[in-house]
Amino acid sequence: MDGTIIAIWLLRLLFLAGLYLFLWSVVRVLLRDLRAAASDPGIEVGRLVVLESPSGEPVVGAGFSLDAVTTLGRDVNATILLDDEFVSAMHAALTYRGRLWYLEDLGSTNGSFVNGSPVDGLAPLAFGDELQFGNVRLRLERARR
Amino acid sequence: MTAVVPMNDVPMNDGPMNPLPITGLDPHARRGGHAHLPRPRPRPREFGLLAIVTATLLLGSASLAATRAFGGTIAPGLDRGLLADGPALLGYLASLFAAHILLILSGRRTDQVLLPTIGLLGGVSLLLMERLPQTLAGGLGLGRTQLVWLALSILAIAVIGTIVRSDAWLRMYKYTWAAIGVGLLLITFVFGHDVNGQRLTLGIGPVSGQPSELIKILLVVFLAGYLSENRALLIEESTKIGPIRLPPIPYLAPMIAMWAIALAIVVIQKDLGAALLFFAVFLLLLYVATARASFVVLGLIAFLVGGAVLYAFLPHVQVRVDIWLDPFATASGSGYQIVQALHAFARGGLLGTGLGAGLPMIGGALPIPALHTDFPFAALGEEMGLVGILGILGLYLVVIERGLRIAASAADDFRAILAAGLSLIIGVQAFIIAAGNLKLIPLTGITLPFISYGGSSLLASGLIVGLLIALSDRTAELPAVTGSAQRSLRRRQNRGSA
Repeated sequence: MDGTIIAIWLLRLLFLAGLYLFLWSVVRVLLRDLRAAASDPGIEVGRLVVLESPSGEPVVGAGFSLDAVTTLGRDVNATILLDDEFVSAMHAALTYRGRLWYLEDLGSTNGSFVNGSPVDGLAPLAFGDELQFGNVRLRLERARR
Repeated sequence: MTAVVPMNDVPMNDGPMNPLPITGLDPHARRGGHAHLPRPRPRPREFGLLAIVTATLLLGSASLAATRAFGGTIAPGLDRGLLADGPALLGYLASLFAAHILLILSGRRTDQVLLPTIGLLGGVSLLLMERLPQTLAGGLGLGRTQLVWLALSILAIAVIGTIVRSDAWLRMYKYTWAAIGVGLLLITFVFGHDVNGQRLTLGIGPVSGQPSELIKILLVVFLAGYLSENRALLIEESTKIGPIRLPPIPYLAPMIAMWAIALAIVVIQKDLGAALLFFAVFLLLLYVATARASFVVLGLIAFLVGGAVLYAFLPHVQVRVDIWLDPFATASGSGYQIVQALHAFARGGLLGTGLGAGLPMIGGALPIPALHTDFPFAALGEEMGLVGILGILGLYLVVIERGLRIAASAADDFRAILAAGLSLIIGVQAFIIAAGNLKLIPLTGITLPFISYGGSSLLASGLIVGLLIALSDRTAELPAVTGSAQRSLRRRQNRGSA
């Protein structure tokens, strides 16, 4: 009889141990995942993905990691170079202020468009919005964390 | 330079010319042509975790069988053997591995932690249902019925995690989903039949279910659509009354409507749990979307005012609060369930009495009425002890962590808020019922996700986790900009230029 009682106790404790072994393994996976996310180079606050770009510069499908202030235009000094004949030298600026992204048109000739509507002045953006400058279409996405 | 017209004739849905190869991501993860299947992608972490789940559940089943053989509390109709009802457990494990294989074949880079975590929760549920009186459910008996629903739920997770590649069908019809939700609520109110004084169950022919399980998902889908569309406005604009910042007045209306719906559920359906769940998830998502604590404080004040009014006028709310404050005053009456639950936790102690060694029956009745639906946490507390239930709560924490991680890495606001909302449903629901069992908050009849007995709850929870797994695939295409996004921008523009 004592053997049975010991066996039952052993099984009970092993069951609980299995539960905690599972939790320990999961936490290890989660920590590795969080460390990998934390050690990503740079602190990006948003991404721009190129949807359409007839000139090939930028390349369609490319993703740009954004800093808090990003300028777009045909000028080589622009943060993101848009080599399109309908894009002005300094076309627009994207700024991240606290909680939101804003798009500001820097007096471009052909204007900037968000989801197909022209921007005048400062437009607050939502992640997932489509931006168009000349023939270049881009999408603002959340940062990869 | 000549003026250029923006190209508005972009294909709206993903046609063959959609230019979406996102570089840096594995090409196999993308949808190939419909002719060839995606290449399978191994999921080693999921497999490793499932192996631990298998070992743990086999040990649990063996422990249950040994306790029964020794103590003689064997339920009628079950054989003695090395495992307690081995075929059921093996069938359940087979469904888990089938789901694992389906997810491998889907070839997507999706979350590998959720399925094993849910698998362990469901397995614990199976072990619990097997030792309760099988007559609680007709037909197959409690354990086997729960097995069928669990297997269907696991299958739902795998199928949704495999086939849902676009969320356009959710985000484009958010008002339709909201209308369906409200419609279900009304239909339940008119045509539903009462069970235990609550009008929650809706029967169509032989099929009956609890629509509130589906409504909570529809609610989160609507909130994700609404909040992601109006996030910029809710953050930028606010109406100031003295030191208090209110949301802009036109956007206050849906929030008041949410509050009113929660109150209506309490008054009409007498379902405190669902009301609490809806309102808590709503406030949490409002905070997730706007990061404004003042909105939450405001919501909590509205909650307290509403709660006080309901307490003053509704007897069933008064009973709930009274038995929470002092269950021992009516220990053999309305406080009986809670008193028995507290005794069960006390009997369990640190390590528990062991699976199957709890008190299954007292005088031919369950020690805690509605144990299998409302008090499984107390039963686990008795049999697995403090150590065991802390582990169970840890599993729910893992689900929440995964959901919030998926939200943090989502590509846009809709997905982020949706993922956060879905995981918070599971987390908040588990908290409400676990805390209710422990007499931490007033008891409300709501299920413990993946552990309580009940088909509606298991299927709805499976749907939630399946959607979370589908959302964790960062390579899933974002739908093209919709008409409502354009309208939202126009509203923003009108304000932004002022």
